[in-house]
Amino acid sequence: MGQMNLKTELNDCELLRSMLAGDEEALTVLYRRRQGAIYRFALQMSGSKTIAEDVTQEVFLFLMREGHLFDPARGSVSAFLFGVARNHVLRRLRVEQHLAPIGDEFDDDVPSLHASTEICPLDDLTRAETIESVRKAVLSLPSKYREVVVLCELQDISYGETAEILGCAIGTVRSRLHRARALLLAKLRPASEIEEADSATVKSARCFA
Amino acid sequence: MNSPGLDEEMLTRELKALASEMNQLEAPDRVETEVLEAFRARKVVTPLAFRRPNASYYWLAAVAAVLLIAISVVALRWQMEDETPAPRVAKELPRHDETVTPAPVHQPAKDVEYQALDNTPKRNERKPTRIPRVRRSENLPVANHAEIATDFIPLRPMNAASFQDGGQIVRVELPRSALASFGLPFNMDRYNEKVKADVIFGVDGMAHAIRFIHVR
Repeated sequence: MGQMNLKTELNDCELLRSMLAGDEEALTVLYRRRQGAIYRFALQMSGSKTIAEDVTQEVFLFLMREGHLFDPARGSVSAFLFGVARNHVLRRLRVEQHLAPIGDEFDDDVPSLHASTEICPLDDLTRAETIESVRKAVLSLPSKYREVVVLCELQDISYGETAEILGCAIGTVRSRLHRARALLLAKLRPASEIEEADSATVKSARCFA
Repeated sequence: MNSPGLDEEMLTRELKALASEMNQLEAPDRVETEVLEAFRARKVVTPLAFRRPNASYYWLAAVAAVLLIAISVVALRWQMEDETPAPRVAKELPRHDETVTPAPVHQPAKDVEYQALDNTPKRNERKPTRIPRVRRSENLPVANHAEIATDFIPLRPMNAASFQDGGQIVRVELPRSALASFGLPFNMDRYNEKVKADVIFGVDGMAHAIRFIHVR
């Protein structure tokens, strides 16, 4: 136990090095430190609890097999893990054609959305509904926009690290995020506003005609 | 959305709310169990290279491969150049160790052949791989000199028309008793040895004449 505590003080690189040398405790510490973020990333990207679990497992199995591929000069262990997770998620989504909005299984994972015991139940319900709408809107984004939203907005990862994970320039991350937010705003507009906007477009079209 | 409209600020707020809602989610414990079991099963003991091989290693490997290919091509061409005269000599000088050789007409060694042998590149002497071939070529005239051949003995009525369309001399080995059947003397002490002979075949496939080769 004391040794485990010592391990928790090590950084990810040192843990990975120890793990590759056969240290199981190093793997345990590294897993417990990073599994949550990887799981949430996979869940937010796929909307499927099953895929998220599989991806989390695959990421760490990959780390065991190919951990020596990690190059500290190219980024952090965390970014490496997110990159692996991203590849697995996209592959699973391609295979399973799972790009449609999430199913019911995700709802079971978010008990706090419905089980909150705040002061005003109506406000809480409204808030939960709003969050649910945002979550569905995120899931409905194209993958290249969804991943920047998940990484930058939901996982709170810096633009630089997101660029490392995605293997693109920071400017690309910024522009994709900007576009993703515009898409989200468009998706989250109330139906009444959309109808108004459509009718305004039609009216103006008639004026020009 | 029940909100009347969503601006950038509200979107950021909602995204943060979503992030905080999901912040506590983690993979189930059984995933950790399976990962650890897999680790134990694999007994990962990977050498601590830890670094991805740099691109320079790939370049070095590529350069080495190109050099290897270039050297191979040069060596192959060199070998082909050296082997070019070899078929000519072999064609002119039939081998003696073949049992049945579809050879051209046997001729005694000529000056031209000696000249050809003398003109063999001097590199041959330096290269150990080519020594056996050169030595055998040098032995060929000696072998030719050691041969004593009888005249061709007709096996059937022959005329010029028989070979108008060509023919072929084939070297064969026969029992030494075959000499006796043609009325030729032979050494009874070597009755179990074979004797070489050249047989002339016409285009009709029939043997027209034979001569016996005696190798000393």
